[in-house]
Amino acid sequence: MSVLALPAQPVQGAAPALRPVPWQRMIWVTWRQHRGMLTSVTAVLAAVSLFLLIAGLKVHHDYTALVNCRTACGAMNQSFNNIDWTMGNTILILMNLAPALLGIFTGPAVLARELETGTFRYAWTQGIGRLRWTIAKLVLLAAVITVLAWAFSQLFAWFFDPFLGFEGMNVLAKTVFDTRGVDFAAWTLVAFAIGAFLGMLIRRIIPAMAATLGVYLALDLLAWLVLRQDYPVAIDTTNASLFSGPNTPDSPWILKTWTVGNTDWWRYIPVSRFWPMQFIEASWLLILAVALGAATVWLVRRRAA
Amino acid sequence: MTVRTMPAQPSRAAGPAGPETELWRGMLWVTWRQHRGVLISVPAAFIVAVTVMLAAGLKIRHDYATLTACHPATSPGCLQLSNGFHTDWHLGNAIRVALLAAPVLLAMFAGPPVVARELENRTFRYAWTQGIGRVRWTVAKLTYLGSAMTIAALIISQLFTWLFVPFLTTEDLTVLSPAVFETRGVVYAAWTLTAFCLGAFLGALIRRVLPAMAASLGAFLFLVALTWLYLRDHYPVRTYWPMQAVEAGWLLAGCALLVAGTLWLVRRHAA
Repeated sequence: MSVLALPAQPVQGAAPALRPVPWQRMIWVTWRQHRGMLTSVTAVLAAVSLFLLIAGLKVHHDYTALVNCRTACGAMNQSFNNIDWTMGNTILILMNLAPALLGIFTGPAVLARELETGTFRYAWTQGIGRLRWTIAKLVLLAAVITVLAWAFSQLFAWFFDPFLGFEGMNVLAKTVFDTRGVDFAAWTLVAFAIGAFLGMLIRRIIPAMAATLGVYLALDLLAWLVLRQDYPVAIDTTNASLFSGPNTPDSPWILKTWTVGNTDWWRYIPVSRFWPMQFIEASWLLILAVALGAATVWLVRRRAA
Repeated sequence: MTVRTMPAQPSRAAGPAGPETELWRGMLWVTWRQHRGVLISVPAAFIVAVTVMLAAGLKIRHDYATLTACHPATSPGCLQLSNGFHTDWHLGNAIRVALLAAPVLLAMFAGPPVVARELENRTFRYAWTQGIGRVRWTVAKLTYLGSAMTIAALIISQLFTWLFVPFLTTEDLTVLSPAVFETRGVVYAAWTLTAFCLGAFLGALIRRVLPAMAASLGAFLFLVALTWLYLRDHYPVRTYWPMQAVEAGWLLAGCALLVAGTLWLVRRHAA
């Protein structure tokens, strides 16, 4: 790995001040150092995407047949439940774990590997300097991983759509909400940022991976149990008719109910508020990721080389 | 890290058992020094898990006793209790998920570093040329780490079995249901050991820690899926303890193969 060192005499036509190493050089450096990680993540996501595509076509076909069924639908229903839904539910659970796994395999290695093996003494004394080196790497890797995660979540959302109707789940349910829109990509970005930060803090890869997993799970629980209740999208109402009837994909999500005097109140979020919720969550996750990135860069700065 | 090389004259401190035992005891210290992370976090997690399960188990069984003692069962008061028991189910289910996740985490974090970290950092050139020799070094590490995990897993699964009994009635589950069957009896300890051995083997095979961690995760999940979807349907027996015996049997046989494979890979590796 090398970044061009500056020549002793400035190049013909260079400004009197020494010209700094251009940012574009870091694209090549990042690729060289992380090609293993980038190719494996892409390969795994591509393989799973292929599976989701094939399985998704089957699921969509079976669901259309089920919806259009007029007579003797019991057996078809049973088969869809046992085969398609079992597969769909398992993949849903794995999808909820995916941001954490992507984060722990990509985040810590970026910086902790340099520190663990001592190669930071070489990497950080190149012409580009340690701060720009770190910023360029973090931004490039975060961008690639986030885009891959976003594309993957769109495919999964398409795959899972039939099950929303079959199980009467709506898109605000935690396990579903996290896997579509911009939320999946945002959580993956935050997992990467937590990983990179803890990698720089702990300076050993495997402890950093374990710590990233723990911190990510804690944050996930916090968002699910506490923060989502308080997003400014909920509506208070006394209209009970909204909540009668079976669970459909359009049913609202009831946060809590309470009684004042003789009237019952409900606090709920209608399905129409899906995108505002997504953007609120993606925004604070993005801010958190940027803050963690800044903290990582600050740690890089103050570490004695 | 050092393991004492054999002195020219057997030392007096070797004791009646001889210098051989001293080498194995030395490996206890080596394993501790090299795997402090695992050897601290696993017992810590064990203590936390036992405490949580004792507290939760007492609560769950108390609530269940109140529920079953409530007559008539269809009165509003008893139905209220039944709804309240739903919170207990969430607690019990969360503990169950944590229990099922533990072998996966061990496959990822405990298994691969045993051999792969030495190979990746090239410190095997030092570690494998100590007095004990590379094969016994690996055997000692796998034995000490593996037995610690398996014993912890056995205790935890018995405690969880005690905790989970009420839910078999209220949630319409049986001891043979997937994700219940493997948290009980001897099967949970067997899965934990298999996870560790799988990680160690893939570490020795792939020789890089991070790829070995990813591969262990994938391989273990694949094995679990295979068991749930296919293997369990083809057991020659259908009742609980025979099925436990069959599953523990093939899992332990698998462990033996994986350990043998690990040792063979260690042995043939060029120094």
